[in-house]
Amino acid sequence: MAQKPIELILARNFLTSLSTPAFLVDVGGALIFYNEAAGAMLGISFEESARTPAEEWSQTIGPFDADGRPIPIEELHTTKALRRGRPAHGTFTMRSVKGDAFEIESTALPIVAEGGQEGAMIFVWPRGKSRDGG
Amino acid sequence: MKLKVWGARGSVPAPGPEMNRYGGNTSCVELELSDGSKLIIDAGTGIRSLGVGIARSLPKINILLTHLHLDHIQGLMFFAPCFSPDSEITIWGPSSPEASLEERIARYISAPLSPVEVRELPCEVNFRDTPPSKWEIGPAKIRAEAVTHRGPTLGYRVTDEDGTTLTYISDHEPGLGAPLETLEPEWISGFDLAHGADLLIHDCQYTDEEYPEHVGWGHSRLSDTLTFARRVESKRLLLFHHDPLHSDEFLDRFHETARERWAELGGADGAVEMAAESQEIQLGATAGVPAAT
Repeated sequence: MAQKPIELILARNFLTSLSTPAFLVDVGGALIFYNEAAGAMLGISFEESARTPAEEWSQTIGPFDADGRPIPIEELHTTKALRRGRPAHGTFTMRSVKGDAFEIESTALPIVAEGGQEGAMIFVWPRGKSRDGG
Repeated sequence: MKLKVWGARGSVPAPGPEMNRYGGNTSCVELELSDGSKLIIDAGTGIRSLGVGIARSLPKINILLTHLHLDHIQGLMFFAPCFSPDSEITIWGPSSPEASLEERIARYISAPLSPVEVRELPCEVNFRDTPPSKWEIGPAKIRAEAVTHRGPTLGYRVTDEDGTTLTYISDHEPGLGAPLETLEPEWISGFDLAHGADLLIHDCQYTDEEYPEHVGWGHSRLSDTLTFARRVESKRLLLFHHDPLHSDEFLDRFHETARERWAELGGADGAVEMAAESQEIQLGATAGVPAAT
């Protein structure tokens, strides 16, 4: 497999060190990594999820709209914004693999290198939950 | 391919009687390719001595810069061919969104840091802003990739006509936030550059004990360098970019530790060496290469 651009390697190293749930997507929008905090939120580690077909686990964990309908990744406002190379913030619902539903806020930041956009970091926060869990 | 080390020190020149064997000059390596042509990698203070010998004999000179920290460009101002009108010098170095390679180097070769300006140099000098890419110089295939260090920094993979490959990553911290033992290759900085190289010249500035006070400074501790070299399956490893505080005696002990740790990792005996000023290494068919395990 081709080596990832250094900007994505550094982003992964950074996200690995955070306690904020965070995801890393490539320039095509494909999920290529999420950190342990995100794994704890979803109930499945990245290593485990990598062995599960993307369609299967994305149908389980979401994202979903307020009525519980799956939102195609292409339709997510974050995806649309990132395709334009812009940051984005929004809310939607996800579920852990155990079935617990939770609304989250997400902020997506494009990773732009000399040759153009390489991907994005997406940070998420369960709504109504502060940093200290209160 | 033949290699000569003109400077193996990192950060700042470290002259002195206790540094004589490994040398005090900063990063500079000369490669002689199969057709007799030469490449220079980095222009630390070691390039000054190199320049004295080639000022009149080598009108076309290619210099590959990994990055523009002072210990990699300080010798440029004292490189004799720069002051010869017969010289044609091409300097390759990392591109940056901030300014061109020439503009960034000119910050050093200009007042008040220098008595002359780039435009006053009598040689013909060309600057090539180099993004991650592949190209050829003479018989050599060059590959440059960005690597984990502070600021835009390249590592180089040079493959000679006979297939002999050298990888030079003088300033590199691939273990920063990354478990090198278990990480998939595509996520390891510098992996493709170094994979299967006949010789890997790699940053090894710190002992494992020193490293915690220097995390994120862009340099490697011994254990990360050895693990990286094992993961990329390089045939030989030259530990490089010695800390300016490390004396000859210290580096001798460091080498012994490195050899022991390398053996524990299953590496071939004799494959780990310390870079030292004036050291020459023959690579390729005529070289005695330790068997890879």
